[in-house]
Amino acid sequence: MSRYIIRRLLVFIPMLFLLTIIIFALAKAAPGDPLTGKQLDPTVSKEVYEIQREELGLNDSLPKQYWNWLSSLASGDLGNSMYYNGRSVESLISSRLLNTVYLGVFAYLITLAISIPLGIYSAKRPYSILDYTATTFSFIGLAIPNFFFGLIGIYIFSIHLGWLPSQSTMSDPLLTGIPALLDRLHHMILPSFTLALAGTATYMRYVRSEALDILGSEYIRMAKAKGMKERTILYKHTLRNALIPIITLSGYEFGILLGGAVITEQVFNYPGLGMLFIESIMNRDYPVIMSINLLLGATILFGNLLSDILYSVADPRIRYD
Amino acid sequence: MKFTKRTKWILLLLLINVLILSACSANQNTPYKTEITGAIDTAPAGLFNPIFYMDMYEETILELTHERLVKQNEQLEFEPNLAKNWTVNEDHTSITFKLEEDVKWHDGKPFTAHDVVFTYQTMSDPDYVAAGGLRTLFVEPLLGYQEYNTGDTTDFIGVVADDDYTVTFHFTEPSITPLYMASVPIIPKHVFEDIPIKDMPGAPASQEAESIIGTGPYKFVHITDRERYIFLRHEDYWQGTPEIERLNYRVVESSVMIGLIEKGEIDFVGRPSGINSADFNTLAENNNLQTIEQLDFSYQVLGFKLNHRTNADVENNAIEPNNWVENDKLSNPKVRRAIAYALNREGMVNGLLYGKGAVINSPIAPQHWASSEERTKQYAFDSEQAKILLDEAGYKDIDGDGFRETPDGKPWRLNMKYPAGNELRERTAPLIKQQLEDVGISVNLKQPKEMSAFLIDMENDNEQDDTDLYLIGWGLETSDPDPTELWSSYTPWNYSRWHNESSDEFIQKAISAPDGLDQDNRAEIYASWQELFSEDLPAVLLYVEPALWIYNKRIDGVYPLPHTLFNDIHKWSVDVE
Repeated sequence: MSRYIIRRLLVFIPMLFLLTIIIFALAKAAPGDPLTGKQLDPTVSKEVYEIQREELGLNDSLPKQYWNWLSSLASGDLGNSMYYNGRSVESLISSRLLNTVYLGVFAYLITLAISIPLGIYSAKRPYSILDYTATTFSFIGLAIPNFFFGLIGIYIFSIHLGWLPSQSTMSDPLLTGIPALLDRLHHMILPSFTLALAGTATYMRYVRSEALDILGSEYIRMAKAKGMKERTILYKHTLRNALIPIITLSGYEFGILLGGAVITEQVFNYPGLGMLFIESIMNRDYPVIMSINLLLGATILFGNLLSDILYSVADPRIRYD
Repeated sequence: MKFTKRTKWILLLLLINVLILSACSANQNTPYKTEITGAIDTAPAGLFNPIFYMDMYEETILELTHERLVKQNEQLEFEPNLAKNWTVNEDHTSITFKLEEDVKWHDGKPFTAHDVVFTYQTMSDPDYVAAGGLRTLFVEPLLGYQEYNTGDTTDFIGVVADDDYTVTFHFTEPSITPLYMASVPIIPKHVFEDIPIKDMPGAPASQEAESIIGTGPYKFVHITDRERYIFLRHEDYWQGTPEIERLNYRVVESSVMIGLIEKGEIDFVGRPSGINSADFNTLAENNNLQTIEQLDFSYQVLGFKLNHRTNADVENNAIEPNNWVENDKLSNPKVRRAIAYALNREGMVNGLLYGKGAVINSPIAPQHWASSEERTKQYAFDSEQAKILLDEAGYKDIDGDGFRETPDGKPWRLNMKYPAGNELRERTAPLIKQQLEDVGISVNLKQPKEMSAFLIDMENDNEQDDTDLYLIGWGLETSDPDPTELWSSYTPWNYSRWHNESSDEFIQKAISAPDGLDQDNRAEIYASWQELFSEDLPAVLLYVEPALWIYNKRIDGVYPLPHTLFNDIHKWSVDVE
């Protein structure tokens, strides 16, 4: 097992390296550079931007620019933003990363907490009222765009009822300790449910179909014949095997939760990595684009490794040597 | 100990309750009796230094914390602010300001003439642009700027402190707009003097709340990046301690903003976000809210590509009007006027802007003293007139396909390009196509491109470029009406490549001595220029967007100006219950 992990980790390095080259080429292929968008201000002369291009190294050859980025990365420096004057990439990302991780984890827990029980129950009593209701809701969940659900949530729970805050990550940044934590959680309820919605629907469908399959299989029939309690069959034998697709999905989910919550972040003005990522692409802020991509790439690779390892935990038939 | 299912549920519910209640009560803990909250819909980039800032959101926030020597009044004329009064010398090459003497920086140090010198010296420094500074416009006319900026000398003679409270600006040429040049917000010398200029944008003094020091009525106390910006009043403010103790700025999604304003969580929204035209009337009916309806300093333009640059000029970044190649498809002014008549601009304002905003024909912002709408040719919607003009110009439909051909019978199809990202503009583009097709002009509306890609297209306007019509929005300077940068032949932003020698003469005359020195005289020159613009028509001005602001009536003392809501914000007050 440990040899397997080491081997996988070693493969990561050339993959990430390749990823950075592809991303760099793609980012550079887009027309314009970090200063193009700013150039709409006619009170600033074009020479000013020329001097700044030179200063930022944008006039160097592409391989040289890539090499500069790579060598500063090798020394542990993510560089400075080319768009946000005077800000390091590290400061831009670190201020958002924590927000995103909080929101992502919270939303993921909600997804699991709702989808697994619902999926199992629908599988246990297929074509029952509960099954139909859950199925209907999961299709509605998939069909409604996130932002719309978010806006409805804001309208009902925050503007109409006034129970939940609708914007930003906390109400008073001067709070500390437990009240600050609770304040943060309070602000996370609406965005995390919104974010969890589509995932819940997908997960539930997977768990249901997988569990249906398993419930029809011979070893379950055997267990029933032996007179095993239904709870044990459901939780010990069915659930565990039904988790395999969930584990596969989770591997990708890591990356998606980090970078894919753009619209939810926007509606709730919850500053996270997703919004920063989109902005950096719009602004052609190459150092930020590269760093976030690297981060997402690494997370997805690790997520996949983790799900491969978890397979063998969930299903003893799977072994790695 | 084993919980039954029921107790588990009760415990869970209790926990949720505690969470919600504690979070709610946390909201009411603020120790400030008077506090107001404003909103913007986009986060500022985060560089709170008035000589380096990048966007209008930062600019608006900096109005609270930093001040200029002069400020603008209702008519956009300059008035004393940190400067008590001033005198201009006889040949208009220098202006001397007497400064207020009891002004204190947020950290308690006195404000003096040396801070003014330091601000302008920093902006003239060879490193200023390399550090990301953009506003060389304000220092280029200063005496000795070239020598200082190239590093030939270390003596800065452009702005000189005569004593602690007297400062003189010296210009190379007689200055038409000395007060505009003196309107840069001042930064504190004692904070920045030991920081190398290249490090200034990244320094805590430009980025971190408590380290940002100005002389303004409010001082920065907290920043939660992209969420919340908190200010406390400057107790030693020279015009008197502000009434309201704490001021918050929140970044709020625009579709949620309306609800929060109605709920009273947001007390004011001003420049630059404003309120959506569609929501404005609903809010106007609310008795707790006071609406403010003005025009924005900007306009949307339908430009005519009159000339293309040569391939060599594009290659070399050169702007040489004499080399330009004329675009035959639009070279006849009658055709351009016909297009102007064919557009139902009133309809656009009514339909897209809910009747807010305005149709203008003059390319100078209507708020300015220099605007002369009555001298311009008016192009009220008249498709019959458009058809007559096109017929006169020889553009007729010969083959009966419903579209006109060129006078020598060739197909005539205009390519129209526009940038994506502005919803209003994206809705305007197909309307223009339709209205032009109604008078028989065939329009090939290209897919919109993202702004950066669009600008690159506009700048690569070589002989192969097929642009005929383009849409763009221009933000206008609030301080001075000079149109040089947008419409003179030599500016890169004249995307029409309009080359008209009389126009260049007028523009130059208005900013040169002696004609420009007298404001009435200058206004007269601009009036002639605006008349010329509207006749030669390098672009149709589509509409001016409205600036729709709002504040909660619990705030007293709000007297908005055309360019800012924060007029004498230290006099704003709220009732304490």
